[in-house]
Amino acid sequence: MTLPDKRTTITNIALFVVMLAAITASLAIGTLQLTPTEVALALAGQADPMTDLVVNQLRLDRTLAGLLTGAALAMAGCLMQTLARNRLATPGIIGIDNAATAFAVASVVGIGVSLAPSTMALTGAAVATALAFGLAGAKGTRGYRFIVAGIGIGAIAGSATQVLLSRVAIDTANAAYPWTVGSLNARSDQSVLVLAVGLGIGYLALMGISRALNTLQFSDPVAIALGTRLRSTRVLGLGLSVLLTGLAVSVCGPVGLIALLAPELARTLCRPGKVPLTASALAGATFMVTADLLGRTLFSPLEVPVGIITAIIGSPYLLWILLRPSQRSPT
Amino acid sequence: MSPTKTSTLAADAITLAHRRFIVAENLSVALPPGRVTAIVGPNGCGKSTLLNGLARIHTPAQGSVLLDGKDIHTLPSREVARKLALLPQDNTAPEGLTVGDLVRFGRQPHQGWMKQWSREDQRAYDEAMTAADMEQLADRALDTLSGGQRQRAWIAMAVAQQTPLLLLDEPTSALDLGHQIEVFELIRELSAQGKTIAMVVHDLPSACRYSDHMVAMKAGEIIREGAPAEIVSPELVEQLYGVHCELTHDPATGSPLLINVRRASAR
Amino acid sequence: MATSARKRVVVSRAFLPPLASAVFLLLLVAIGSLLYGAGPVSPAEALAVLAGGGTDEARFVLMELRLPRTIIGMVTGLALGLAGALLQSMTRNPLAEPGLLGVSAGSGFAVALAILLGATTATLTTLVAQLGALAGCALVIAATRVQGLGNDPVRLVLAGATLSGLLMALTSMLMLVDQRAADEIRFWITGSIAGKPLDMLGATLPSIILALVMIVMVARPLAAMALGEKAAVGLGHHPGRIRLLITLSVALLVGSATALAGPLIFVGLVVPFIARALAGPDIRRTLWLCAPIGPIILLAADIVSRLIAAPAEMPLGVVTALVGAPILLAIVRAGRMPSL
Repeated sequence: MTLPDKRTTITNIALFVVMLAAITASLAIGTLQLTPTEVALALAGQADPMTDLVVNQLRLDRTLAGLLTGAALAMAGCLMQTLARNRLATPGIIGIDNAATAFAVASVVGIGVSLAPSTMALTGAAVATALAFGLAGAKGTRGYRFIVAGIGIGAIAGSATQVLLSRVAIDTANAAYPWTVGSLNARSDQSVLVLAVGLGIGYLALMGISRALNTLQFSDPVAIALGTRLRSTRVLGLGLSVLLTGLAVSVCGPVGLIALLAPELARTLCRPGKVPLTASALAGATFMVTADLLGRTLFSPLEVPVGIITAIIGSPYLLWILLRPSQRSPT
Repeated sequence: MSPTKTSTLAADAITLAHRRFIVAENLSVALPPGRVTAIVGPNGCGKSTLLNGLARIHTPAQGSVLLDGKDIHTLPSREVARKLALLPQDNTAPEGLTVGDLVRFGRQPHQGWMKQWSREDQRAYDEAMTAADMEQLADRALDTLSGGQRQRAWIAMAVAQQTPLLLLDEPTSALDLGHQIEVFELIRELSAQGKTIAMVVHDLPSACRYSDHMVAMKAGEIIREGAPAEIVSPELVEQLYGVHCELTHDPATGSPLLINVRRASAR
Repeated sequence: MATSARKRVVVSRAFLPPLASAVFLLLLVAIGSLLYGAGPVSPAEALAVLAGGGTDEARFVLMELRLPRTIIGMVTGLALGLAGALLQSMTRNPLAEPGLLGVSAGSGFAVALAILLGATTATLTTLVAQLGALAGCALVIAATRVQGLGNDPVRLVLAGATLSGLLMALTSMLMLVDQRAADEIRFWITGSIAGKPLDMLGATLPSIILALVMIVMVARPLAAMALGEKAAVGLGHHPGRIRLLITLSVALLVGSATALAGPLIFVGLVVPFIARALAGPDIRRTLWLCAPIGPIILLAADIVSRLIAAPAEMPLGVVTALVGAPILLAIVRAGRMPSL
């Protein structure tokens, strides 16, 4: 709400500083090791041509893409969790990532479709959401049906991606492969640009409905009693979640679990009772850049797609949430 | 802290249905202004559905609910929220939410894009906290409170909405006797300040004791309506709950009391 | 009381006809699997071979390609159907399916690891797949023993999906390391029963028979477990021992199926779902019905996979996912989650 909230402000500032550190590391570490000072000089345009090329051409683009995708995925996750009132209901679990990927792969592989990946990924995300909604009995985003419907849709979309890949030349499949598990390597400048615009619009729109979103943390009757227009808030929220997820997937593929982990962290740090959208975005951007850095450097020269890194780091945590003896069931 | 304006709320021949299953048909009821109305009846008689219908949570299949004479579903939700507050039965809050945070939510209907937390909001908040006797607990997380305190916090949120109308769905259902009294007395105080209140109450004696007006429902129909002292009779009790009883009066308050309650079919 | 007793009688009387028709249907589907294919042999030519004639080419396609494939399909379907029914009965969760719960993924990861390390023999692959399935199965059982989780079907499925995701990420890691292995693994993880040599079948047959023997042993105590663990103890059974035997047989079955066909999702969900609908709640009848229904579903899916994208083939795993996901949704949509 609107009282000055010290805890949230401090959290956001702290997360921002951590994010800056992650950006610096991402720009400095790699085959060419740089010091933070060198990075700063390069950013200011005062470095030698070689450093300038590495920082400003190669790493900066990639880091920027990481920041945008991480922030978009995390916000979409936070939003979806709020709408479903279930911390497990992230776009990845509901199958939206997979569907967006399947559609985008279809366009990359070129099964008679020539739309740009952004549009295709967006279409896929929208189709999956609509399906999950329809199949859950159109009873809204709450409840387990929505999630199970999503698991089914995700399975179908995952197999569809496999079909598409198995139908093309092995080289094409190998080239498309990292992206289908989530990677910042295969991005196009155009889709990054579209994502940047979409993220900006999405963030502003979310700030606009943040008060209504806060009331969705209560049961439906409470939200209605507080004057929230449930349906329009939900439709708008879902739409934004689809937009953010679709555009992010068009850049980095289905990088899982950032949408779960970042809001989880944000919620722990921020003051309860508010949907921590900004903190989620900052945390998500940090996670993405850091995971990508790990993927690039851990087994260098072999590059591990960032989606694999987040799955290996994030899955155990998700399993822990799911399997610990429950005081309160998370579903 | 009297809500300056009054509002009227009435159901006009509404039919309430869950999917295709009709819970109640052709119900009409009007809340007497400034009074406490208790809706009573056996399990599954549709009393909570009626309350939810009045609170616009449940959209009637036919008929309309009139708030100040206008169909409640045609009014903007925020405008309704400035006239009518609701304490639903299922009121879970996010983990760790403090009492103060919760009560501040009650000011949302009065805020807007440009209108952030104002001095008026703060005053309404302070008054609500005082009314519910919650000042000491403002910074406590809801999950650390007792059941009665938690329910008072939720009522404080509804009070902070500063509405002339307040609807409560089984406000004391999970509370022990002491906490029940705590909540009912708070409701009486709010009524004394001029609010029009309607509540679903499970327990008939409490309904008699704390309401001015009683609506008795069975199987989706309103079978009696009026002041508790006038309508509560052994016949009504048998009709509602299928039990025999005798009636006496609380020597201290004069409200009806049931004694020697037993199964109607008992030999 | 009277009506429920009467219903029970009706169910038991109605049990044999579905079983007989399922066996009959299986026969039809098996013949269909021999007749239809993506290859150049037409159904008429194939029929001629079955009648004892036909061209050499047709004979080769039928006997060397389609017959082994049909047999492998039947065995895989049998194994997955039974495994699903066992797992669901023991966890009392209608969504407990080896594919969804990560048992198949565990098996798949183990095989991918084995392929990467250069395993080529059928016996070794089968053994590795079974060990992987055993590990996955043990995890699932351990998870259902966690307090509160046993009664929460969706949470268990989510945990399974997460475990699957983790194992797939690890498999992807392996694929990055070695391009050659990657091609083989990619072909294999989509799930298919095409072009699998019959010696693979030989390697899995002993364990499937062993599993069947164990199932016969635990069927009755398992039926008693449906009344609750305490009731089963009261009837003189040993829940711990039953669980162990079930775990072992599910691991053997799923491991064999995965070695034969790759990780196939949803078969273990669809088959018991149909069997339960026909046989009622008793696990023994369900198991009997699963035996023919599993092969029917798998062969039918395989025939579809051959025809739908002819002359190319659609991976079988995709077809089972396309068939199974709607069933999953149907189970969930059927209002209240049916408890087992």
